[in-house]
Amino acid sequence: MKKPAALIGKNLSLGYRKGKQIHEVASGVSFELEAGELTCLLGPNGVGKSTLLRTIMGVLPPLAGELRINGKEINDYSKGELSKNLSVVLTDRLQVGNLKAEDLVSLGRIPHTGWMGRLGKNDLAQINVAISATKTEYLRNFPVHELSDGQLQKVMIARALAQDGEILLLDEPTAHLDLVNRYEIMFLLRQIARKANKAILVVTHDLEIALESADKLLLMPCGQPIISGFPEDLVIQGKLDTLLPNGKLHFHKKTGKIKPLTSNPPLDISGPGEIVPWVIAALEKSNLIINDDIIQIRLEADPFRAIVVINGVQLGCESIQQLIIQLQNSISPK
Amino acid sequence: MLFFLLSGVVCLLVWVLNLGLGSVAIPFTELVSRILGNEFSKSSWEIIFLEYRLPKSLTAILVGVALSASGLQMQTFFRNPLAGPFVLGISSGAGLGVAIWLMAGAVIGSLIPGMFGNAWMLFLAATAGSMAVLLLMSLAAWRVRDSMSLLIIGLMFGSLAAAIIAVISYFSQAEQLKLFTVWSMGSLGSTGWDQLMVFLVAILIGFSPAMYLAKSYNAMLLGENYAQSMGVNISRLRWIMIISTGILTGCATAFCGPIAFIGIAVPHIARMLLKTGDHRLLFPGSVILGAIVMLLCDTISQLPGSAQTLPINAVTSLFGAPVVIWLILRRNFSKEF
Repeated sequence: MKKPAALIGKNLSLGYRKGKQIHEVASGVSFELEAGELTCLLGPNGVGKSTLLRTIMGVLPPLAGELRINGKEINDYSKGELSKNLSVVLTDRLQVGNLKAEDLVSLGRIPHTGWMGRLGKNDLAQINVAISATKTEYLRNFPVHELSDGQLQKVMIARALAQDGEILLLDEPTAHLDLVNRYEIMFLLRQIARKANKAILVVTHDLEIALESADKLLLMPCGQPIISGFPEDLVIQGKLDTLLPNGKLHFHKKTGKIKPLTSNPPLDISGPGEIVPWVIAALEKSNLIINDDIIQIRLEADPFRAIVVINGVQLGCESIQQLIIQLQNSISPK
Repeated sequence: MLFFLLSGVVCLLVWVLNLGLGSVAIPFTELVSRILGNEFSKSSWEIIFLEYRLPKSLTAILVGVALSASGLQMQTFFRNPLAGPFVLGISSGAGLGVAIWLMAGAVIGSLIPGMFGNAWMLFLAATAGSMAVLLLMSLAAWRVRDSMSLLIIGLMFGSLAAAIIAVISYFSQAEQLKLFTVWSMGSLGSTGWDQLMVFLVAILIGFSPAMYLAKSYNAMLLGENYAQSMGVNISRLRWIMIISTGILTGCATAFCGPIAFIGIAVPHIARMLLKTGDHRLLFPGSVILGAIVMLLCDTISQLPGSAQTLPINAVTSLFGAPVVIWLILRRNFSKEF
């Protein structure tokens, strides 16, 4: 028989209990997390992603439904036991003072050590594994407050790894990071999921990076059940549009980007493949309203040249900027 | 390791210095031989040593231990570098108890002769006051979940106690007011051997859970959420922190009056000297440094060679306030803490 998924949620109802009042944030939440996979959870603000995270962390008991970690109901775990199965990287601001990066990573061993917190051979080995998996060896002796945001995030991931649970939860690990670090962190996470056979759940708003790096996506749209699947399947099925409910934006399959819905008729544009999408992107942004004008654009690369034919008049442009200005001037106002 | 060896030696030296200096100076060689079991060459020294200097220096050590251990716990638990025993309102509560006893209680005291002015009653009043605030804080801790709210409630309790003290002072007689003012300046000299034993036992009871929970305090460096994810029982830790700091601060304040700045300044010095955030080292480090600082402050307050003494609270403030300002100027407090 196949091993059950590392984390299973069935028909979960999430929310807060305050006295007799019950404040439900999300209901009918079902999902599965497999070991060895990087799963990204996407959804608009306020849909209950954080509540789901807090529920999985065991801070909030689920109002109803089933939540199983390694086949065992979450309520049956003691706090200490749960911390050996599940570790987290949160968005909380750190204030750790004089700790060195290595000390911070070794805090991850707290659930495994005795009351004095002495690190044994196995503990030190796990810390080394975590540090090398996140490629942070060179940071070992740096005080935490001297690390950059990207370095700190890697050290925090190392700490979570040192805790040595099968499940890793990360809350927006790429927020505040520059582009390179975002990709680096996400690919690092996927690599860790593969190599260390961890089930990793990342809550993120970075749709593009999630599409590229995640093994599976969980989409949490407002008021609808969670949609899960391969990122590419969800793209083809047009499911990503469920995250963009107001009808003004849509997920453009061809470019893999979120774009405003436009009603412009397609333009007659031809030229080298790597240039055409950029010209189209600039045209879409410029908000040109093209009515009955007959427009043809021919593009040339190296050097860039655009030949525009508007209502029979031919014009040459040396840059996209020039092209847009020409079009704005030439299109007959209505 | 070197730090503990050095600070241990320094502590011993400062202790002997504290014993030797005062209005009457006792030579160090005599002191050392007395400690080793021989007798003083002057019998008057024996009385000064046994009845006055020794209990006073031991009190200084215990107060330093109590205040710095509770300051360290509070700073880590509340994740606030400015937290200290005064912040939870415990010292103010003790002050309120004493104020009520000294000023309002004078009326009751006059009914039962011999009761008023008894040092034990003073201690009981202070303990009752700090325990009352402690109880209120525990109720608040049970209701509000986050540390910042608890910190603000503590500050408010402190202000409230200070306001009530002000009202009582306004209506009390000059003599009682002076008694209270003297108490609030702090004094290490009013503890006898009996009280010292109670003090010692209370501090052992208050300090041992702190040391036992050093690991949990390390986890708290990352904040409540991370600590919880590492299996730390936050509500239990909160309770133990409140009880431990309550006992430590409560008894120190009861015996010696509110001693300012030790609780807030010493843990920072320990962090700086030890260059670590590990509480397994910070607790013993803070405790030794607290003892050293209190002994030094007490030595200074004796104004060696003169018959005058300064209020201990003035000396600790003169030492502590510049230290805190210097610490804040020297390093990035919010980042490095």
